[in-house]
Amino acid sequence: MKFYQFAFKNLIRSKTRTLLTVLSISMTAFILFMVLSLNRGFESSVKEDLVEGIGAHLFIARGGCPMDAASIIAQGGISPMYIPEEVLQKIQDVESIKHIMPFKIFSITTSDGMRTDIFCGVTKEVEQMKGKWKYQKGGWFPNDDSVILGADIAVIEQRKVGDKIYVEHFDKEFEVAGILEYAYNQDDGMFFLPLKTAQKLINREGKLSAIAVSVEDIDNLDFSKMEIKSHLADDYMVLTPEAIGNDVMNFFNSTRTIMFAVLFFTLIVSTVGIANTIITMIYERRKEFAYLKCVGASFHDIYKIILYESLILCKTGIIIGISSGILLSSLFEGYVRKFLLTSYISQTAEIIRPGFDIALITMFIVLVIGLLAATYPAIKISKIMPMEAIRNE
Amino acid sequence: MNNKIIELKDVSKIYRRGSENICAVNKVDLVLNKGDFCAIVGASGSGKTTLMNLIGCIDNPSVGTVKIKNTDVSGLPQKDLTKIRRDTLGFVFQQFFLIPTLTASENVQIPGLFAKNTQRIKRAEELLDLVGLSERIHHRPGEMSGGEMQRTAIARALINSPEILLADEPTGNLDSENAKIVFDTFKKLNKAGLTIIVVTHSKELAKNADKIITIKDGKIQTD
Repeated sequence: MKFYQFAFKNLIRSKTRTLLTVLSISMTAFILFMVLSLNRGFESSVKEDLVEGIGAHLFIARGGCPMDAASIIAQGGISPMYIPEEVLQKIQDVESIKHIMPFKIFSITTSDGMRTDIFCGVTKEVEQMKGKWKYQKGGWFPNDDSVILGADIAVIEQRKVGDKIYVEHFDKEFEVAGILEYAYNQDDGMFFLPLKTAQKLINREGKLSAIAVSVEDIDNLDFSKMEIKSHLADDYMVLTPEAIGNDVMNFFNSTRTIMFAVLFFTLIVSTVGIANTIITMIYERRKEFAYLKCVGASFHDIYKIILYESLILCKTGIIIGISSGILLSSLFEGYVRKFLLTSYISQTAEIIRPGFDIALITMFIVLVIGLLAATYPAIKISKIMPMEAIRNE
Repeated sequence: MNNKIIELKDVSKIYRRGSENICAVNKVDLVLNKGDFCAIVGASGSGKTTLMNLIGCIDNPSVGTVKIKNTDVSGLPQKDLTKIRRDTLGFVFQQFFLIPTLTASENVQIPGLFAKNTQRIKRAEELLDLVGLSERIHHRPGEMSGGEMQRTAIARALINSPEILLADEPTGNLDSENAKIVFDTFKKLNKAGLTIIVVTHSKELAKNADKIITIKDGKIQTD
């Protein structure tokens, strides 16, 4: 028999209490693992959708608040600010610009309130601008009443090229001209329309949500930005996708702060709970520990037994917590997507991204909690005098 | 040749209870030699357990010196006392202090774990055989009788091959038949050269010892 076997056999003396303690530790590990996975997943999804997915180097938007621009570009947010199409003429001659893609984006919630669809009016430049714009089937709009479907929407709507699709909100039927390949970003869940059609549908003829721009020399992005800005009035903003991504993240910062604060208090409560259980476990056995002192257990031997017990509890809790996190991540993702994030990021984006590094961080934090919780009772009981064994209560 | 293994000189133990001083052991002088089988008898509260605690390095004397194998242990730090308790002394108490989820063999091994005794598994089996429990090696305390549990506790006290075995009311929780078996085991161990000190209130059982010390009001009456 070794120390860890001795510690394990001590723990199984009170199976129910041990099980409840392990459950509480596994819940802590689970919450920690999920929150960290969610934080990374959400941040990465926003970055991938906005920074990498759109394929633009710069965005021209209008309005005083960058958040408005982020909202419009990310998910078709409603804003009274718009860009008149005449602006396109003004930037046409900017030398550092490679492609210009004007777009009109808006979202419509279905009449049953169950789904929010995002429509994006685009011009042919989208094919050059978006690196991931590839047709699975079909191709560009043959007429104004046609639609190109993102890969996910095509699956959800069960439509193929040539099929008709009826949009109840506009009481209008479109013909599917093309279906895009999976881009694994927001595009997968979008309806793409000809720009003019999109503008007409929401009575915004000649008005754009924003203009996406790609530049000749990405290393001179700041120069391009200045150059474009010099051609525009003061109330126009020229933003990088990173800035928009950061704005979206800033929008969620208060939520994230609350989330981490709740997590912090959960960890504190958990530490206190584990400490309380270990204290109870130890004090019930104080005479026994005193006896162990009689038969030659040193301060370190007793301390080691308690720490081993705590480590066994923590390791078991960590394994259960992280495994549950991995197994339940898709379920949790569905829940989070439904109630928290909806259309800010694409439906195909992984908003919970567990990983080995997160598992390691979780393991480290929970082990520290376990050791912290065990240290006080371990030190306290290690100092017990052997006399306690024979003292009658 | 100096055969003394335990030597108490002018030892007193005074406890303070409220404003009152209680002298549990009062100016005791005692010498025990290697291989002695000694019974300490006395009424409840006479000071016999306190005397055993002083001999067993569980408690420190208020006055006087306690020598174990010619080493004065009275003022030693806990670390050194732990070593003496682990390597030189074996303890058996009225309560068995067996861990319910461990088998007899595993319970016996525990002090060996602290002494880093690499032969502890084999030694535990030998000792359980010695106390007549070779058939109970893999049984847990809940599956054993009181007598068997106490014999397991005796085997555990012997795992680190101590030179002195201290037993405090070892038959206190046993019927007369099991009490006799325990004392027979002590006699067997004593014949093999082990020094044994047993604290008991039973004069009948004390007769099994070679030397009987009667203690009253903290003072030795007969030696």
